[in-house]
Amino acid sequence: MGNTVSATASQAEAPATFAPEFAIESEGLTKVFRSRWTGVSVRAVDGVSIAVRRGTTFGLLGPNGAGKTTFVKMLLSAVHPTAGRARFFGRDTFDPPSRRPIGYLPENHRFPTYFTGTGMLEFYGALSGMDSASLSKRIPELMELVGLEQRWARVRVGKYSKGMLQRLGLAQALMHSPALLILDEPTDGVDPVGRLHIRGILKNLEQQGVTIFLNSHQLMEVEATCDEVAILHKGRVALTGRVKDLTAGKGYRVTAVDVPEPLVTELGASASAYSVHENEAEFQFAAREAMNDALDKLRATHCQVESVIPTTSTLEEVFVKAVQQ
Amino acid sequence: MRVTLALVIDTFREALARWIFIGMFALSTLMILFFLFIMRIDIVEGGTAAISLFGQTGPRTQDVARLVNNVYGGIATFLYTWGMAGAVFASAGLIPRVLEPGRIELILSKPVSRAHILLGRFLGNVLVVTGNICYLILGVWIIFGNKTGIWAPRFLAAIATTVFTFSVLLTVVVILGVLVESTALSTMVTMALMIISPILAQTALAERLLSSETSRNIWRGLYYMFPKVYDIGNLTLNTVRGAGASIEWMPLWSSALFGVVMLTGALAIFSRRNF
Repeated sequence: MGNTVSATASQAEAPATFAPEFAIESEGLTKVFRSRWTGVSVRAVDGVSIAVRRGTTFGLLGPNGAGKTTFVKMLLSAVHPTAGRARFFGRDTFDPPSRRPIGYLPENHRFPTYFTGTGMLEFYGALSGMDSASLSKRIPELMELVGLEQRWARVRVGKYSKGMLQRLGLAQALMHSPALLILDEPTDGVDPVGRLHIRGILKNLEQQGVTIFLNSHQLMEVEATCDEVAILHKGRVALTGRVKDLTAGKGYRVTAVDVPEPLVTELGASASAYSVHENEAEFQFAAREAMNDALDKLRATHCQVESVIPTTSTLEEVFVKAVQQ
Repeated sequence: MRVTLALVIDTFREALARWIFIGMFALSTLMILFFLFIMRIDIVEGGTAAISLFGQTGPRTQDVARLVNNVYGGIATFLYTWGMAGAVFASAGLIPRVLEPGRIELILSKPVSRAHILLGRFLGNVLVVTGNICYLILGVWIIFGNKTGIWAPRFLAAIATTVFTFSVLLTVVVILGVLVESTALSTMVTMALMIISPILAQTALAERLLSSETSRNIWRGLYYMFPKVYDIGNLTLNTVRGAGASIEWMPLWSSALFGVVMLTGALAIFSRRNF
């Protein structure tokens, strides 16, 4: 099994008007499903705004019915938003060329069973604009990369196991060397060894600068793979942040901007950890009293407090807390 | 072009895998063999011919060219009707199937417009049927040509009219496919259009039988609105027999217009749908 990615991420074309540091941006993305007959409406996604930095791995979490799949489908234009907009590398996602640098693996995929492994990769590769020479070169590489033996290349996918279909689906998503991978439960049905293997592939891709957007229920997997997460609940973003911050330990994470240096030092002394990035300072406090004391001092010096996030020790705890709130 | 080709090849692959292509090919072969078996035309003394069906010879001989033209015409009409009905039955599922959940999302995630996806699939479907119709009509033409020594190229006009009418009817399958994703309903409505066509075509009779002007207008409206399957069948018959001095274009352009409206509607619905 090869564990390296041979191709590099394709460079997405971005118009000059847009800040290229974000692979995905959504602004107030909303979807209301209305029944044509009864008039009953369901707000599946409610004003979701997120930004995924280029080259990072981002996890989208949420309980069943939180709106994750609808959100992803809106990104990919399979579902039309009721309100809001989304962009891939600065281009409106509704514009088909904006999807050129995207590789996607849906959750409940139903690959046509008449395809052979090779046939399926050829078809989806061609839809992504690949020529036959590139397809011939890329298919054996990817079969090896995802751990599918060559003898399966000419076998119809109807004969594949669930785990093999996931691997083939991942190969399909990687066919045109995308700059952004959107994966919906990529390790679903894959055995533990296979999961580790796929995780390794994703890690390699991230190192090559590929942005990965992971929609998963596997909290441990997200914790191990993602830099940032957003937790959706009832269609809204319940919590978002960097995984290392959210799982920094029980306590509170305070983020403020334009904090004078002496105050940073003073608050840092009472914090369990702190860091400064450009004009933004972050402090981790173990106790509520220390956090409140810090807030008082920040207010007294007219600093802008960006956020106060309760932190716990595992992503699972963060998740449960966010959803229960 | 690459994307269109991929969509067309995919339709062929699916038609092959689901035995649609092979099934149609086998049925066409059976049809050709059936004609070969039941029909014998013997050239007698150079100028006359005798035709036998199931071994029964007709009471009188006829001018060979006229006879062959009539036989060609009858067969062309039969193949037009049979070929089209068979094609609609066989291929009606190819459009709704591509819209199945879990399949369409992945296709939509590719950098291809929805119109391109639907039109590519439509084209693939038309080409699958065109291949089969060509095989069927060319096969029968070759058998007849060999039997009679008279090669009537006009017979091949049936390929064009059959494929044309099938394409028009396929637009109904497409719009119902994107609207309700039901192969059964698509087939039923399309067959209903085929069946109602010869009834609506009796406009002269309807003018006499219907008492009110409103009813007559409704009849005329329905006649002009729906595809003229029956009229195009007659057009095929007359063209093959060489009977018509001039072609009646109205059934062709009005049916084409119907197809364009249906396809435009299907594209509009498909581009707005959520999957």
